[in-house]
Amino acid sequence: MTMSTTEEMRSYVTLNEYDVDHVHSTDFPGSYHGYDDSWDFNRFRRNFWIEVTKLDDMEMEFDMVGIDAALANAFRRILLAEVPTMAADKIFIHNNTSIIQSEVLAHRLGLVPIKVDPRMFEFRQEGDEEGTDMDTVEFELKVKCTKNPNVTADLPDPYEIYKNAKVTTKQLKWIPRGNQAALHHNNPIRPVDGDILIAKLRPGQAIDLRMHCVKGLGKDHAKFSPVATASYRLLPKITLKQPVVGEQAERLARCFTPGVIGLKEDEDGNKVAYVDNARKDASSREVFRHEDLKDAVDMKKVRDHFIFSVESTGALPPNVLMCEAVKILKEKCRTFLVELDNLTKK
Amino acid sequence: MNAPPTFESFILFEGEKKITIEKDTKVPNAVIFHVQKEDHTLGNMLRAQLLKDPKVLFAGYKVPHPLENKFLLRVQTTSDYSPQEALTSAVTDLISEVSLLEERFKHYVEPARWLLEKNKKGLTDTVGRRVTYDMKILGIGR
Repeated sequence: MTMSTTEEMRSYVTLNEYDVDHVHSTDFPGSYHGYDDSWDFNRFRRNFWIEVTKLDDMEMEFDMVGIDAALANAFRRILLAEVPTMAADKIFIHNNTSIIQSEVLAHRLGLVPIKVDPRMFEFRQEGDEEGTDMDTVEFELKVKCTKNPNVTADLPDPYEIYKNAKVTTKQLKWIPRGNQAALHHNNPIRPVDGDILIAKLRPGQAIDLRMHCVKGLGKDHAKFSPVATASYRLLPKITLKQPVVGEQAERLARCFTPGVIGLKEDEDGNKVAYVDNARKDASSREVFRHEDLKDAVDMKKVRDHFIFSVESTGALPPNVLMCEAVKILKEKCRTFLVELDNLTKK
Repeated sequence: MNAPPTFESFILFEGEKKITIEKDTKVPNAVIFHVQKEDHTLGNMLRAQLLKDPKVLFAGYKVPHPLENKFLLRVQTTSDYSPQEALTSAVTDLISEVSLLEERFKHYVEPARWLLEKNKKGLTDTVGRRVTYDMKILGIGR
């Protein structure tokens, strides 16, 4: 273990050649002499900040600084498993003569992301087979593969000579129930992407099915998860402890993700390494394999600086997902508080 | 297939209580909370928040078995304070913490979303790639 001051131990995770030091949060009252680590909302308010660095309809990246890993992880877990979305849950197959087995076909359809706001729906009651317009979105898939009469047979491309040789999500037809058509007039319900391949057919083969999409949670089945990924990493902090020059500098730069180590020329025309942007680093510890470089670098991570990234499956934009996750977490806490209160009353 | 039904992870059984208390008889002021249908998400968060309380002498949690949807939270406090009080104040603190987080998050995101909606066409560039809005260019970042 390398020598480090209390401050370093508290604030940074240290990456060494063979191990990682100071992994856990230790900023609890009683851990350190001379530090007041007891909970103080105003102190949290002063130190905590958020900055969104990237945002569009599918992806978001933001920095969250000054919170405990337990809370950051709670958000990640809730995004993955507890924010509801709609997904196909019951598939009624009337006819399937394709080479895809019905159960495989049903599974594939289940995983297709559906563009619909789950907040406008309710969970389906247990035991309800039919569903209502409040809890079910229905789709129909009816395709039959035929020979394309306009094409001469010696063309080699099956997608030219046959019609419907590929079945894609574009062919899923939404069947509005009740007042759904009026309710979702501005945003017709459809699969997020139209180009997902469901099955391939040859002349004479056909698929005829109906699917019921219901609201569900990621912890029930991954198809209900609203995110493709939700993850966080800690902000890397890289420092050069001594000047690295010439060939060594170039080698040093290659040890890290491009853009992390920059090279500049000094007065004598030698290339000198400097830390350009540590944020880009993927934290490979390649540098520790170079005997002459390993003592020149310090690799650390800022323990309370989370770079959070959320990639939506498309049903809801990622910023909405994050707000939903916050709501769910708060609701969890409130229920807990009520239950706790009931407990002490007795 | 002998896997338990998946809905068991979030629906309480008939007559089941969300939280039950077991007194730790070996040490004073120590209690084990049994929390049903919750997992590491809440367990670890509560543990971390409890440890921030100087009057909490011990806080730890475990999920006894991965197929049982429950966790145990053991809390020991100083003599002038009860584990129940500690837990109540920990949860209250967490709620205010998360509320501040929500407020700050929305503060940054809402203007950007507004711009995104306004320039809906600008979402894809000429080659059809999605354009990512750099918040610093929008002048929203710190």
